[in-house]
Amino acid sequence: MTLQIGAILLLMVAAYAVASFKKLSVELSILAAAVAGGLGGAFLKTPPIAELPRHLVEGMFPYLDVMLVFSTATIFMALVNESGGVNYVVRGAIRLFYNVRVVALLVLMIIILIPGALTGAGSVSLLVVGAPVALALKALGIPERKVAAILFIVAGLAAAAPPVNIWAMILCAGTAIPYVGFTYTLGIPVLILGTFTILWFGLKKEGGMDKAAALAALPPAPPGMNGWRVLMPFLVFFGLIIANRIWPFATPIFGLPLEFTAAALTAWLVSPKRLHVLKLARETMQRLLPLLATMIVVGMLQQIMTATGVRGMISYSVIIIPLVLLFISLAVIIPVSEGVLTYGAAAILGIPLIWFFDSIGLHATVAIAGLSILWPLGDGLPPTALIGRLSVMVSEYKGTYWSFLRQTWLPWLVITITGILMVVYSAKLAFLVRWSM
Amino acid sequence: MNIIMILYYVITAGLVLLLGWNFLRERKSANDLILGLLVLVPLVLRLLRVK
Amino acid sequence: MSAPEPEIMAHPARLKAVLAVLFAALTVAGGVPLFKHRHYGMTFVAGPGVTKVIKLSDYSPGLKGSFTDPDVFILEGAEPGGKALLMADTHANEPAGLLAVLIMIENTVVEKGTLYIIPTLNVSGSRNTKAGDGYPLYFDIPTDWGKVRFRMGTRDASPLESWPDPDVYIHYPEKQMLSYLDVRNTNRTWPGRPDGPPMERVTYAAMELMRKEKVDIAFDLHGAETMFPVTNCIVAPQKSAKIATLAAMTVKAMEGYDSHVEPSPQNFRGLSHREIGDYSDTLPFLLEAPIPFLDQPTGPKTVKLLLDGKDPFLLSLAGKKKLFVAYDEKGWPMDKRVGQHMSTTLEIIRQFSKKTPDKAIRLTGAPKYADLVRDGAGHYYRDPAKAAPDRIHYE
Ligand SMILES: [Zn+2]
Repeated sequence: MTLQIGAILLLMVAAYAVASFKKLSVELSILAAAVAGGLGGAFLKTPPIAELPRHLVEGMFPYLDVMLVFSTATIFMALVNESGGVNYVVRGAIRLFYNVRVVALLVLMIIILIPGALTGAGSVSLLVVGAPVALALKALGIPERKVAAILFIVAGLAAAAPPVNIWAMILCAGTAIPYVGFTYTLGIPVLILGTFTILWFGLKKEGGMDKAAALAALPPAPPGMNGWRVLMPFLVFFGLIIANRIWPFATPIFGLPLEFTAAALTAWLVSPKRLHVLKLARETMQRLLPLLATMIVVGMLQQIMTATGVRGMISYSVIIIPLVLLFISLAVIIPVSEGVLTYGAAAILGIPLIWFFDSIGLHATVAIAGLSILWPLGDGLPPTALIGRLSVMVSEYKGTYWSFLRQTWLPWLVITITGILMVVYSAKLAFLVRWSM
Repeated sequence: MNIIMILYYVITAGLVLLLGWNFLRERKSANDLILGLLVLVPLVLRLLRVK
Repeated sequence: MSAPEPEIMAHPARLKAVLAVLFAALTVAGGVPLFKHRHYGMTFVAGPGVTKVIKLSDYSPGLKGSFTDPDVFILEGAEPGGKALLMADTHANEPAGLLAVLIMIENTVVEKGTLYIIPTLNVSGSRNTKAGDGYPLYFDIPTDWGKVRFRMGTRDASPLESWPDPDVYIHYPEKQMLSYLDVRNTNRTWPGRPDGPPMERVTYAAMELMRKEKVDIAFDLHGAETMFPVTNCIVAPQKSAKIATLAAMTVKAMEGYDSHVEPSPQNFRGLSHREIGDYSDTLPFLLEAPIPFLDQPTGPKTVKLLLDGKDPFLLSLAGKKKLFVAYDEKGWPMDKRVGQHMSTTLEIIRQFSKKTPDKAIRLTGAPKYADLVRDGAGHYYRDPAKAAPDRIHYE
């Protein structure tokens, strides 16, 4: 059986390679791999060819709700951005803190963290606040290559940050562990690592811009924009979330997509300038298209890999690695799997890993937290490199992709060590989970 | 079906319209045409209450 | 990324039409089987012991609707006695429980006491599929006259019944935070509310059944991965623990299979074995039989794996002591798992009856572990073609 499954896996890899070679996009290459795997499986009737269309279509569904979150969140933040809200906040940060460099950097870090923390997607951070934050960082005299590196690492941490961490949610749902106890377990490492990253890259001023020039370089906030107008849509968003938490049995379940939609409508209503909502929404969906399509094809790939046994074989191979070696190899396995499969990796490798860790006495919740700060690193690795590509795009860095990636080595290393140590010493860190409850 | 669930079908329908509109307007990229259709399939099946 | 592709985009309208037709075809070819699965009715024959079939919504109208409201088969004895509730398809991707209770529905006659049987507690989940996990849609059990076809469902209710999911699911009434998915999981929504999210309404109605009918013991039949620590066991809270322990010891000694007792955790809310005990006078028991099909490191997810439980990867992992149950070349056949559910259930009923003779439950026509291992589950299913039309139920 191993041989047959191995053959199917090879077929999938070959299809992917050919598609990439033919200059097809990452999404289409993954689709090619999924279809090839399905056809390969059909030879062995695992699954039979008649079932293939059903498997392909069913595989489009695992991330449907995540796609709705991405879409509504990004449209919301696009409206906030277009109304001048983000510029207003970034200008404020520079005006108030330009001379207190550390504070300015930390405020900018928090601005990147928030959208990703709320949606579980680093890409949302980059798509909505990436451009103005990149401008602000450059105004602070940080070169473009370092700006790209900051955006990539901090956006990845944003995705891992509580309250919404999609890797942790997938693992919890798949292992029947409640999605609770992550607030400090993830929050503290994310803040420490984020602070380290932004100070490491940003503390040294390399350009020669003074405060007035920096403010002049930033796009102006539209007349009439004020703190209240920036705050209102976020108040609506958090208000709905918090209402659900405080009165869970008196409020209906709104769900993130509806909460973002309500916030978007508020942003539209309070905007000081007229927003072309439909045009903006349409452009946002166009920008999001590769990301949404990635969710679709990764789901399809996951479905085909499971139906054919490829997924089982891969998770078997991971589980039989000796423990110490396994801990060390997490540094490679986790980011690489994310680079190939994005969220599918959490389901394919993460679930059996967590069961295994749980069975040898590690604390599952802390181990999940540890793994889920490693996963975002993989979003900088090809073939998908979702967050890496976006970081380069948003920061307008002109060098090669590898020169950007090399720049991130130290935070990458520190995050890797932190994540692995969190897994290894998870039982000793269980107090973080108790604090969070 | 309660009001919130109906709103979710409205949101889904809205996204289908935006994606469909982009599909019709696309003139340059065959890649984006295929990606658009890929994303549309599950959204349409949800609207039809198939899955 | 989207550099112009001049040749292929020479006739955009034509290309769009071709692609649209292609994807429409895929949508139909993939969508129709999913639609059919959701609307497929499994054919059950009410056996001689079934005295009434009602809807669970008779106990709480909030769950009315054909995809949330399960049937309740009532098997009432001539002589009054104790009452037991059997629930299957709480997780509809763990089908051994469904197969076991169907044997009861089609064969068992109650002499003393009453059985309430809910074969598909989470109707919506039993009509849903697990996207991304590549399950088969159906599986067939061979019988003496043909075969019985079952839907392969999944763990969670369909979003078509319960949408959206919350950011986090806050358990009622204990306020514990659970994964957003658990709002659709009928083993996290106990004890439920009459007007809560759809699956809370289902569990609430089942609680109402137990409270109004003064049900003495309740069974929730499950399956668990061989790599999951809580498998092949009876999960019981303190008040059910003694009976569970006696039953586990007896089946080990008399029938020769293992099933240990796991205490129901105090602080993990929403599970049947916890909340039924805490919110009613009923004694709950949750039975787990191993189901290798659900393990992550397996070969293809085929009907064969579902039915025989044989997998080379699990066999290798068993050698490395990574499984929580004994596992060899023989796998874990479905008939054995159904047999364990049957015998453990019957033994718990027997122990309960021994302890409280005035509330005893006595029944005939229920095969035990050895019978099922020898004959197979299919041997006990009735041919709907030979049944009176009013005895046939589509679940
Ligand atoms: Zn279960």
